[in-house]
Amino acid sequence: METEVLIIGGGPAGLTAAFEMASRGLEVTIIDESFSLGGQLCQQTQLIRALPSAYQPMAGFKLANKLTEQLKDFSVRYLLGHRVIGLYADGSIGVTDEKDVFPVKAKKILVATGAAENAISFPKWTLPGVITIGAAQTLVNRDFVMPGKEALIVGSSDFALDVAYQLMEVGVNIKGIIEKSAVVNARDKEKVNQVEKKGIPFYFNSYVKEAKGNGEVEAIDIQLQNGILTETVDLVCIDGSRSPILDSFYQLGCSFGYQEVLGGWIPQYNKHFQTDQKNVFLAGNAAGISNHAALLLTGMISGISICEELKVLNRDAFKELTLSYWRELENLENKDAWQARIRHIEKFSAPLLKDQFIS
Amino acid sequence: MHIEDHPVLGKQLQAPVKFYFNGQEYKAYKQQTVAAALIANGIKKFGLSRKLVQSRGLFCSRGRCCSCYMTVNGEDHVRTCMTRIDEGMIVSPNLEDPVIRSDRDGD
Ligand SMILES: Cc1cc2nc3c(=O)[nH]c(=O)nc-3n(C[C@H](O)[C@H](O)[C@H](O)COP(=O)(O)OP(=O)(O)OC[C@H]3O[C@@H](n4cnc5c(N)ncnc54)[C@H](O)[C@@H]3O)c2cc1C
Ligand code: FES
Repeated sequence: METEVLIIGGGPAGLTAAFEMASRGLEVTIIDESFSLGGQLCQQTQLIRALPSAYQPMAGFKLANKLTEQLKDFSVRYLLGHRVIGLYADGSIGVTDEKDVFPVKAKKILVATGAAENAISFPKWTLPGVITIGAAQTLVNRDFVMPGKEALIVGSSDFALDVAYQLMEVGVNIKGIIEKSAVVNARDKEKVNQVEKKGIPFYFNSYVKEAKGNGEVEAIDIQLQNGILTETVDLVCIDGSRSPILDSFYQLGCSFGYQEVLGGWIPQYNKHFQTDQKNVFLAGNAAGISNHAALLLTGMISGISICEELKVLNRDAFKELTLSYWRELENLENKDAWQARIRHIEKFSAPLLKDQFIS
Repeated sequence: MHIEDHPVLGKQLQAPVKFYFNGQEYKAYKQQTVAAALIANGIKKFGLSRKLVQSRGLFCSRGRCCSCYMTVNGEDHVRTCMTRIDEGMIVSPNLEDPVIRSDRDGD
């Protein structure tokens, strides 16, 4: 199979990049291993307020629909249920439909594979019933399944509080939110209020000492500042923050740098979201963990960069658009993430890791 | 338990299917994953880890951790969080390493 542009990952970043390119006449193929487009946005029911000026505030799943809808008039090929697993010697991408493997030859590749949630380990954290906050959200809002009746949340980020609220809405009893530091991690005070109003206790300066249960989680020992509290639960949702998914970048031979705030190891890239492999671009959480506005804007910037390279966007218009998208990014991205991104881009030609595998 | 009427998304579960786990029949809905279908029916333990022989179940629900491996319609090591349930599916727990070279594969 041949295509002008191959996008790996049909989440918000991949879809906005696709819009920039397909609307300017490029032949785009989107590959995603899941069965639907929208990536991790599909199960987000919370309102997303800060978005690029082209979009109104809306719930995550509605945004996923909108990003998918706006592509329908253009020539975009979709390979859903397909996974990128490697690279052929001639530079073609190796794709599997879980039965066969075939090559896809592309002029440009855009990697928008998103992020994976990290674990927080404690004794017996592998017991069934201990899951990530993202998994809980997926069960409730995508699969329409109750993950449990009595739950504890480990971590207090905005994401964790959103999920705590969404679990409550379907009738899960949240017994508490455990936070290892002295204050709530979430930036959005409204989310904190929403949860506090429901009477959910926060346990600060606390951590999970041990999970207990036979075959599945039945209780949690919480180490408080002044002793141990045991809660009976059948669900524990852990928020270990997220790290970019890098598999495709290793395979494509990209170099890496490290930015703690952006999720750790990330591929080297310049201000056009182009990696040191000239035909490989990136966007979204794969380029560093950030907020929704940044996911979309990085998709838009990498999209127009490919347009310019493939000569469907003239140099002046490209320069102007790049400038305005970057200005929006500066306004909408959290300050610490923005600063880490700038530091990362400044170090483009000085990677920490080259030609080696990190895990 | 299935969420028949979701507070934000409404009534989304329309097409019921039957599937089998350890020989017993259970009910699920078409758009659910195998892992979600099991959890809806109160089954959280999907298998045992190979070395320490500890219980394993769903963890990330996005195909990254492989904690949800099970045998589905005779195929070993299927990521059940990335596989949709289907009518008549036969699901069994992942209790040991799969047989990689078998007669079936002609080796
Ligand atoms: C389960 C989950 C729930 C989340 N919920 C929230 C939330 O409530 N609030 C919040 O602020 N953030 C949330 N996030 C963060 C989330 O990552 C972002 O909101 C956003 O979806 C990231 O956009 P993206 O386009 O970068 O990546 P994604 O949306 O993750 O899209 C990447 C896509 O790439 C595909 N993919 C990856 N590797 C391959 C491959 N090798 N071959 C083919 N396809 C591949 C994946 O299937 C996926 O669809 C959640 C994350 C997860 C994991
Ligand atoms: S639960 Fe992690 S791969 Fe299925």
